[in-house]
Amino acid sequence: MRIAKTTNTVDGDDVGRVTGQAGPVTRTPRTRSARLPSHLVAWAFLAPVVLYLAVFYAYPLGRNVDLSFRDYTLRSFIDGTAKFSGFDNYVEVIHSPTFVPALTNTAVFTFVSIAFQFSIGLALAVFFFKKFPLAATLRALFLVPWLLPLLVSASVWAWMLNSESGIVNSGLEHLGMHQINWLTSPQWALVSVLIANIWIGIPFNLVLMYSGLQSIPGEVYEAASLDGASKWQVFWRITFPLLRPVSAITILLGLVYTLKVFDIIWIMTRGGPGNSSVTFAIWSYRLGFGGGSPDLSPAAAVANLLILVAFAFGLVYIRMQRRLVEL
Amino acid sequence: MKTPNKRLRIVALLALGAGLAGTLSACSASTTTSAASATTAAAGGTYTLWDPYPNRDATSTWAVAIDACATQLGITIKRNSGNTGDTVKDLTTAASNLPDIAMVDNPKVSTLADAGLLTTAAENGLDVSSISANILSAGVLNGETYGVPVGANTLGLYYNPTVLAAAGVDIATVKDFASLTAALQKVVASGKKGITFSAVGTEEGTFQFLPWFWGAGADLTKLDSDKSIAALQLWTDWVKNGLAPNSVLQNTQGTSWDEFKTGDYGFAENGSWFQGDADTNKWGVIQVPGVSGGTAPAPTGGEFITIPVQKDTSRYATSAKIVECLTNGSAGATALGYVAPTSAGAQAQAAATTAGANAFWVKAVSDAKPRTADNLGTNYGIISEQLYTAMQNALSGAMSASDALKAGQIAVDAKLKK
Amino acid sequence: MRKLRAGTTTLIGVVLTAVMLFPLYWMVNVSLTQPTMLRKDPPSLFPFDPTFDGYRAVLSQQGPYLLTSLIVGLGTVALTVALSAPAGYALAKLRPRGGGTVSFIFLIAQMIPTIIMAMGFYLIFNSWGILDTPWGLILADSTLAVPFGVLIFTAFMSGIPGELLAAAHVDGAGPWRTFRSIVMPISRNSVVTVALFTFLWAWSDFMYASTLDRGGSLQPITMGIYRYIGNNTQDWNAIMATAVVASIPATFLLVIAQRYVAAGVTAGALKD
Repeated sequence: MRIAKTTNTVDGDDVGRVTGQAGPVTRTPRTRSARLPSHLVAWAFLAPVVLYLAVFYAYPLGRNVDLSFRDYTLRSFIDGTAKFSGFDNYVEVIHSPTFVPALTNTAVFTFVSIAFQFSIGLALAVFFFKKFPLAATLRALFLVPWLLPLLVSASVWAWMLNSESGIVNSGLEHLGMHQINWLTSPQWALVSVLIANIWIGIPFNLVLMYSGLQSIPGEVYEAASLDGASKWQVFWRITFPLLRPVSAITILLGLVYTLKVFDIIWIMTRGGPGNSSVTFAIWSYRLGFGGGSPDLSPAAAVANLLILVAFAFGLVYIRMQRRLVEL
Repeated sequence: MKTPNKRLRIVALLALGAGLAGTLSACSASTTTSAASATTAAAGGTYTLWDPYPNRDATSTWAVAIDACATQLGITIKRNSGNTGDTVKDLTTAASNLPDIAMVDNPKVSTLADAGLLTTAAENGLDVSSISANILSAGVLNGETYGVPVGANTLGLYYNPTVLAAAGVDIATVKDFASLTAALQKVVASGKKGITFSAVGTEEGTFQFLPWFWGAGADLTKLDSDKSIAALQLWTDWVKNGLAPNSVLQNTQGTSWDEFKTGDYGFAENGSWFQGDADTNKWGVIQVPGVSGGTAPAPTGGEFITIPVQKDTSRYATSAKIVECLTNGSAGATALGYVAPTSAGAQAQAAATTAGANAFWVKAVSDAKPRTADNLGTNYGIISEQLYTAMQNALSGAMSASDALKAGQIAVDAKLKK
Repeated sequence: MRKLRAGTTTLIGVVLTAVMLFPLYWMVNVSLTQPTMLRKDPPSLFPFDPTFDGYRAVLSQQGPYLLTSLIVGLGTVALTVALSAPAGYALAKLRPRGGGTVSFIFLIAQMIPTIIMAMGFYLIFNSWGILDTPWGLILADSTLAVPFGVLIFTAFMSGIPGELLAAAHVDGAGPWRTFRSIVMPISRNSVVTVALFTFLWAWSDFMYASTLDRGGSLQPITMGIYRYIGNNTQDWNAIMATAVVASIPATFLLVIAQRYVAAGVTAGALKD
């Protein structure tokens, strides 16, 4: 027998999870804490990863925060004698002429990427979930773009979108259209990096949503088909709601990863021409090591703004989880 | 039942992988030590050298030149290579554990010296007296010398005689900006493409723009001068009028050369390192002309050999000997296809007609000007970033040439004031 | 009738895959194009008069790099799953006090710029003496995947019915046995998902490799590509050929893994 999982247990579970997070007062006493106190067991399972977190993340995170609140030059970065400067770096960054374009580009880049990646990934997951010959192989082939070093995949896109010798423009000209300066005109540069990034992100969404579909028990569909629901209805009324937890984590991770996309944009346009495809991640690198003079402190400040954005999305995610349960 | 079995398989797989890796590392290690054992016999010790030439493998002329120095000095030199764009990042990261010798693109020397990563000639005992002054000055900051050039390269204007002949252009008539533009128009009228160069938004773009910028009489301390605007307007008009392709905004110098190699272009601005390729294809080269005749000063390219700070200062003496071995005569420079840093070495190369160091390029390098000259030092990086940004803005049509350069100068002023 | 429908679906699937993989075709095309034709306008759809110079260079030089990538990839997978699966289980099912904070920190931790992480690792690895080794690279690459692993395991494991765990408890299984013999087998799907992406991230990492394994005798394939990039030149034939050659064994691995998953799911349905 396959382990039956009904909507009830999923919901019941999430309720427990949320109340658990809300605080110890509302927590229901558990029966399985017979031998060891359950929180000790839980922390035993968590211990390795927490240690790992402390060793590998604490120092870089601390360093990044420290960088952003001091006035570091390359020299003081090395000998560690930078003066505390409060929020100066943040003020400088926010008043920079790059701030507004970077903010809008980051927002557009992130939301458009996610919207397309997620919907295409979900549609493909549903498509490949049908049983047909070669389905598993073709699905595996969708992951191949991820095997390429980003240097190569971004270069290939830049190659295809090249104004003069790119295949895309050559195709457009065959169709009687004009050459588009994909990477070199302010209007198209962001579109170009978006296309490449959506392409890169499709496999991620496909795989996660496919796993999500796999974890929906077949009985649910059987019941629905007995009720005579159409395929479309089944999808929107049953599949999609059941996919919500997986969708939420996929979108959240997608947001986090898209916010920090760097290589694709850097290789294709370097954020240019001018600031037309600059995002926070690109800007931070430009300030740090990608420009003419290393401005480590403002670079760290920009990076920390991104961390704050991720923080906000994390809060939204937790909110959403709570609402899902109330529904 | 199934799990332990599977775990066993994974362990076996990993063990197999580790075993294979072991043999491999043993293999590659033995090749390095065999070269080393011959040399360590004397007295030596191991010295590390970082260079930005990952494409030159252990059998390349460059690696051979290093090995020769190691043998001569009775030491082992462990060489490893990284991307030239990552030099500052890599050396900053390794600040606690710096290599004995680091090769650095010349405009970066002042940045690294200012960060306190490099030793001065006074500290490490390097003798720099024989090095040509116009190349050496990129390594001088506040009167101290922080390294010596391994050699120098610079830019010239390559042309394709077949394309020019078909278009009815005589290369001798190309003497200034206006006659060059006229030649480009003729080439384009004949159905070919005019000129390709690199105006990419990096240091490479500034490097390529400087001959035109300096050739127009402009000065890096004032980006928004009329002469500066005229230089940028020249490029902008070429792109706008189809004399240069739109792809120049993206081109690295390598990509630009690939475009020239299609045989569709009349002209290409590119470096002495492609002279060998040009020889094979019978392409010619001239120096970039000035705005109203003469030749424009091109920037010097090429890396400096520097000696980063060590805890054990007794290492400097040997490091300095390695540097001298690589720079004296023309061994290092010839291996890299550069013009030797000493005039004696350069004359020897010119006589031997080394591609990239033939008489033409020896003259071009002696006419060339370091980017950090005019006492710009670390300010050069700041100015260069704004200059290539202005180029990108103007060539893409986002701003006019004059607006772009004015915005650039404002940004420079704001940064320098800080 | 049904067979025909399946055939049409396969056809659509093939077309979709072809569209998705077109950039890869272009990579193959570039890898075979003569250097003089690389920037031809208009480009050729097919490399007539192909050159195999790139492949010759790659096949003679890139073997060790490929093997290192494979070791680093598999090592990173093992480390990541070992660290994140128990953590995911704890967060999803044992719900300790402060667990929410841990997952939240992981979410934030992923946003630290890789370059800052790399600089931190350099210091740590230097003092541990594991710079320029594959082991150091495995540790560093795992930081790309452990947060992902923890969050994915948490999300998927929270779907495991509580009754099942309670039953195991009644049968006298301790927490570790419950985890190993109940939770892990039914979480096979998420294990494969996490393993897959971990492998792919480790495989394509460049920032850590170029910072932490700059001088090692064992370097991954992303560094192997460096051999074709000079300070002023790029050998595109060889760069693209490396990517092609490197992706072939890994593609086989992916296809096999996918088949294994598909088979595993069916087998899992019949088990117990």
